[in-house]
Amino acid sequence: MRRAILRIAIASLAMLTCSLVQARPVSYTGGWTLIEVANRASTAGLVHYSPTHNFSVGLRHEWQREDDVKLTAIQPTLLVKRWFGREYQGNFYLTGGLGTATDESPNNLGSDTGTFVGVMADWETRTLFVSYEARFLEQGTLGNHSMHAARFGWAPYAGDTGELHTWLMLEIDRRGHFDDKTSVTPLLRFFKGPALLELGYNLTDPSPLVNFAYRF
Amino acid sequence: MNKILSLLLAAALSTSAFADDDKYEMKHHYGGQMKHADMNHDHGAEHDHGANHEHGSRDHGAMAMNAATITHTDEISAALANGGAPVVVDVLGVVCDFCATAMNKIFSKRDEVAAIYVDLDKKTLSLVITDGSDLSDKQIEKLAKQAGYRIAAIRRDSEAMGG
Repeated sequence: MRRAILRIAIASLAMLTCSLVQARPVSYTGGWTLIEVANRASTAGLVHYSPTHNFSVGLRHEWQREDDVKLTAIQPTLLVKRWFGREYQGNFYLTGGLGTATDESPNNLGSDTGTFVGVMADWETRTLFVSYEARFLEQGTLGNHSMHAARFGWAPYAGDTGELHTWLMLEIDRRGHFDDKTSVTPLLRFFKGPALLELGYNLTDPSPLVNFAYRF
Repeated sequence: MNKILSLLLAAALSTSAFADDDKYEMKHHYGGQMKHADMNHDHGAEHDHGANHEHGSRDHGAMAMNAATITHTDEISAALANGGAPVVVDVLGVVCDFCATAMNKIFSKRDEVAAIYVDLDKKTLSLVITDGSDLSDKQIEKLAKQAGYRIAAIRRDSEAMGG
């Protein structure tokens, strides 16, 4: 346990030496959210519950496909600050995770403690969106990874309540442990009611991006 | 060291960029009902409803006024016809359907709320309070906070109807 706490502290310190971030990982008070993320690096699912409007805790399961490592972790997220305006909203989040990583590859390196910390920040109007996120993952013998991603989005029209909202987005990510360290992914975001779907394709490291979120 | 300096610079810039928000947040010290005169924004300048138009089945009503009025949906019209009291809440930070979902979920749990509609175009929350019950400004503010948002003004009755 002391080792895990130490890892989180070290990772947090490392995080503070990096830049800022994105997303909507905290819901309304009493709300549940189901999130699926699939990109060039991993496929992940997260279910989280928000006991308050500025905090959520969830269970994350992540398959890091390149290393064939699976991570299952408890993930708390804190909405540190939300900026409100008549035409915009900005958010700054801190997140982290503690769980177990298991090597599923033929190497069979066994299991180790997996910890991660991350920061996310976003700013959006009804037709403009910009975000940044970073995550630092430690898995002992199973590898340590860092990731940064920035997004820029534009909506060709401002959808009203309940209508289909469509966004054109561009994501640029950097993953130090990949051959193509920096990659670019154009994507479409569709938003309707409590559901969000993102479909894209990584042009640098050819692979699909499929993200889904549902709030209930 | 450079990264730390970059972080501090980014934080300083973000604080500066959102400085107006903090001013906006200071405007919420109202005791009872907030009058439109207390509001410091020009709805008409940002969203011109002067021309008659409709969003689906909703009628934005008397939008020539600066203050947004209640959004008429079938549910709201029915609740008003049943004697409910109209309330219009100007909400800050409402930019997407997740925002609308959050407020729908939080406010719909209340027995006092007969009908609700979050209007992204007008940035308002339209409520109809069940005849014989009450939902104070403080309660509305608290519920909006639970949804993750902040309110700028509340209008009731004739003000909410634009009359």
